[in-house]
Formats: sequence, C-alpha cells, structure tokens
Amino acid sequence: MVVYSFYIFDRHTECVYSKLWARQDRPISGGGTSIRPISDASATSNGAPPDLGPARARPARLSAQDDAKLIFGTIFSLRNMVRKLGGPDDSFISFRTGQYKLHYFETPTSTKFVMLTDTGTLNMRNVLHQIYVNLWVEYVVKNPICPIEHPGGEGVANEKFEMGLETFVKGFV
Amino acid sequence: MSAAKAARHGEEIWKTKIDKVNAELVTLTYGTIVAQLCKDYESDYVEVNKQLDKMGYNIGLRLIEDYLAKSGTMRRCANFKETAEMIAKVGFKIFLNISPTISNWTTDSKQFSLIFDENPLADFVELPDDGRAQEELWFSNIFCGVLRGALEMVQMQVEAHFTSDVLRGQESTEMRVTLIRYIDDEMPVDDE
Repeated sequence: MVVYSFYIFDRHTECVYSKLWARQDRPISGGGTSIRPISDASATSNGAPPDLGPARARPARLSAQDDAKLIFGTIFSLRNMVRKLGGPDDSFISFRTGQYKLHYFETPTSTKFVMLTDTGTLNMRNVLHQIYVNLWVEYVVKNPICPIEHPGGEGVANEKFEMGLETFVKGFV
Repeated sequence: MSAAKAARHGEEIWKTKIDKVNAELVTLTYGTIVAQLCKDYESDYVEVNKQLDKMGYNIGLRLIEDYLAKSGTMRRCANFKETAEMIAKVGFKIFLNISPTISNWTTDSKQFSLIFDENPLADFVELPDDGRAQEELWFSNIFCGVLRGALEMVQMQVEAHFTSDVLRGQESTEMRVTLIRYIDDEMPVDDE
C-alpha cells in the first residue's frame, strides 16, 4: 500500500498540518476526469490536466493549500450528509475513487484526521485513531509550550510529532 | 453508557492506562499555587477564584484530549445526563481517582451538582483566618475551569461554580454545573 498524504483539520476548520509523501512511480491509469488529490510535478508533466469542463479553466497544478481546502470541503459536506441520513452518531469511514482512497477519522473535539492512500488499502480508521492517541495527544496537545490553538499550524509540526508520524507511516507501509 | 458501566470503565482505565504520581505532590503543588495567587493578588479572593478558574480552563482544553484518548471515546455523549456520569465516573476517576456523587438534577436535566466526598486538592488545607477567606475563597475553584474548558471542546458551553466547601466549615463540598447551550459546528469561511 502507498500513503499519498495526510491532513489534520482543527475545530475551527483550519488545516493545521499536512504532509505529502513523494509518490512512487506508477503508471497513470484511468481517464483524466477525477481530480487528483496530489498533483506533484512529475504527474502533471506526464498526464493531461484534469478536465473540469470548459466553464472553469484551472491551472494544472493546485497549490497544497487549495488541496487542503478541497479536501476539507469534501469531508465537511460528506460528514454532514452522512449525519443527516444516518443520525448524529454516524460518520463516514472512507471513500474511494478510481485514483485514491480517502480515510477519515474525527474526534469528539472536532479534530479531523484525513489520510489519502492507494485504492487497495484496507480500513485505516484504527491507524488514524492511533495517530491521534499516540502522536497528536502525546506530542502536540500535551506539549506545554505548544499553543492550545494552532493558527496557521503553529506548534503542530514539532520534531517529535514529525518523526513519530514518519516512523508510524513507514511501519505499516 | 449506564452509570455502572461507566464506573467499571473508569476503574479499568485507572488501573491499566494511568501513570500515577504521589498524591501529596499534587496537593502540595496545588496548595503552593493557591497560596502564591493569594499573595500576588494581596488576598483579593474574588480575583484568586477568577485566576484559578482561568488556569483550570486552559488545563481543561488540553485535558479533554487526553481523556478521549485514554478512555477510547469515539462519540459524543447522547445527552447531558450521560455527560455528568462520564465526568464523575470516568473523568474524575482516571485523573484523580475520585468519583464525586451526582445529585440535585433540575427537572429540565440541564443542571446538576457534584458532591465531593474526598478532594485530593484540599488535604491538609486550612483556609487563612483573616475573616474573609472563609467567605470568599473557593479553594478548589480550578475544577470549575477544567470542566468549562473540557466541555467547551466537545461543544458544550457550561457554567460551573462551587456552592459549598468543607474547608469553610460547611457539611459538604458541592459544585453546581449548568449547561448553557450546545455550540454549533464552525463553518469554513467562504473564500470564493
């Protein structure tokens, strides 16, 4: 399995952490119709930019910030829709497209953890929960120097958290 | 989660997942903080209460995450009654190894009391004998702030205050907790 990227959104809907892993070489399959979550330089140079219709001309490569915004918009709407359909305790676990699978975990404090992997990956909810318990709470929340809120991601990307995440992701790939 | 189940759950976490520290260290550290505040604010006890509440609030904002992580909580409480049970039987249990009694619910289920039969913060404590501390200082006021901060993070705005304290010579130590409202989800800013 391959992990493409990982995002954390706080309760103020802000992206406080994002990490992209360099994508391994693999053939670009499928049509160009789905929006690719990460479009690194090599992918854009090989493949045609996603066709979004004539109405909206888009640059071929979205900035990381726009990626995060798009992802937040997607999970936010999906989560609200799922709750309307399945009751307030329901939450979606993942969705997949032809290109990727998005895994989602939200804590009762509205911190949202999102991971994008290849489509063959099994359920990652536990993994995201582990990241919350063992990395987020331990190294970010409990770090007394780290601010409680993370405007602009301040205080999140500390060394312990970064290293922990790196080891963790390597560990199950 | 039922009251009995919550109690078992709290006990289980306390036994298996919690690093313990010497209780006297906690008592003495907290006592030192309160004493220092009394000195800094020149025995303005109303201000000291306020500062303790504020400190508690900042602790609560973080502590809730540790609570959720340790208790493995994945969802919000279904109602305020369940919230009360979880605070008393799991929250206080895992962090202080005490389980205050819940009582005096109002009929609209928005207000309850926590009765503290034991209070590790107040062991060895005697309030200053200046004639005012007995009337004005809520020694354990940090608890109110902790609850306020922690519940705010799970989208409940509450008000908490002590109504009696054995340190003041009263019969019991009682805190009143009131649910003001459930806070709505924040919406992303529309930037397009």
